[in-house]
Amino acid sequence: MNQFLAENLDNEKTLLLQKTLRSGQSIHYDGNVVVLGDVNPGAEIVAAGHIVVFGALRGVVHAGASGEAGATVTAFSLAPTQLRIGSLITRPPDGAAISLPEHPEIAKIKDGSVVIERFLPSSEKA
Amino acid sequence: MAFTDVINRIFGKDGNGSKDVAKERLRLVLVHDRANMSEDVMNHLREDLIAVINKYMEIDQDALEVSMNNEDGTASLVANIPILSVKRNIS
Amino acid sequence: MGEVIVVTSGKGGVGKTTTSANIGTGLAALGHKVAMLDTDIGLRNLDVVMGLENRIVYDIVDVVRENCRLKQAMIKDKRFENLYLLPAAQTKDKTAVNEEQMRDLCAKLKDEFDYIIIDCPAGIEHGFKSAIAGAEQAIVVTTPEVSAVRDADRIIGLLEAAGLKSPKLVVNRIRTKMVKTGDMMSVEDMLDILAIDLLGIVPDDDSIVISTNKGEPAVLDDKSKAGQAYRNIAARITGKEVPLMSLEESGGFFEKIRSIFSK
Repeated sequence: MNQFLAENLDNEKTLLLQKTLRSGQSIHYDGNVVVLGDVNPGAEIVAAGHIVVFGALRGVVHAGASGEAGATVTAFSLAPTQLRIGSLITRPPDGAAISLPEHPEIAKIKDGSVVIERFLPSSEKA
Repeated sequence: MAFTDVINRIFGKDGNGSKDVAKERLRLVLVHDRANMSEDVMNHLREDLIAVINKYMEIDQDALEVSMNNEDGTASLVANIPILSVKRNIS
Repeated sequence: MGEVIVVTSGKGGVGKTTTSANIGTGLAALGHKVAMLDTDIGLRNLDVVMGLENRIVYDIVDVVRENCRLKQAMIKDKRFENLYLLPAAQTKDKTAVNEEQMRDLCAKLKDEFDYIIIDCPAGIEHGFKSAIAGAEQAIVVTTPEVSAVRDADRIIGLLEAAGLKSPKLVVNRIRTKMVKTGDMMSVEDMLDILAIDLLGIVPDDDSIVISTNKGEPAVLDDKSKAGQAYRNIAARITGKEVPLMSLEESGGFFEKIRSIFSK
């Protein structure tokens, strides 16, 4: 799995974080960020490239922070407080909590808006 | 708990609940907090005491002790003033 | 010109943020233009109590560092057009905003808003001093506990020393039954000790927990007793005279039976 995801990331530098990011912690990185752990509410990741979370993503993330619209955010459980890709900002809808799927999901920009899809390794390869 | 307390509680009358304890403790703590007796203030107090007492008696200024005491449910100012001699000709 | 009111307590956990959220929302519901400022930098919470946490892009530190304009950082409430929140920063520390910056910020907000409600951090250090720097009025929140009242007393002294001469008291989490049995200090007991004006009494109420869970201030809940208390407080801030609400538990034996049947 590890090996496989690495292939999908662009050929740029990547920061590997082997811990859970807690409220108040903030990671800014000029490349991809991979977290082996959760990202809790109140924590923040700002990355120039992709963001991958091997765990629950509940905080604020910004992928493609220097304007790269092709950046993606992938997590085992994708439930961010707020999700930004490039210059787009999205947040979950108000109201009742949404039930999360059991499978990993990926967020990316499609036709000018952020969409969230089931993470399918095969489709990512293409 | 005394039987009358139980009765009072059942009928919701004012008993000797813990609030009186709380209030009393607060009062004491605040006397201390508000007085805020810093070293400086204590030293001034000490000097003033010496000046006043010196009018009437000769005291051992170096052995003089002044402190705030917070015991037995009361706050008090305690001064221990050793007298060397009492002046005679006080009209 | 608006009025800048800081909500403070000294001790943590007595309900500053809940009080700020409910007073701000209550004033907005009365039609006033209100800005709420969270100055608890590093431990922000007013955003979650208001249910606005997922709209934050910029915060108070971005504003004072001029990373963005003030208007960009002000988050419009989802219920009221005339209610805004300026969130604290979560990833910075308390020294990120100083007293002078706070005074400038309050001065700017006063031109735009009728009321500016500042949620102050716990403690008496830097964060507290900055939070009160731009304020003209202060609300001191306490609960009927020895520790909270003691800290309130300390805070009142500090506020007075800083020129905020007549702070008003909000007594939070009063439990009528315990006051009756003499196991909780009454409002009179606390006023007796603190000797300041009373702004309001808020009963201990489960609806506060529920409303915080949902991110909807209790002041908007018609059935909530605490909500009613906050509506009264908001009205008093605008200068209306509202009598203190009765904290009697509603109903004797028969009403309780009725409430069982109506469930």
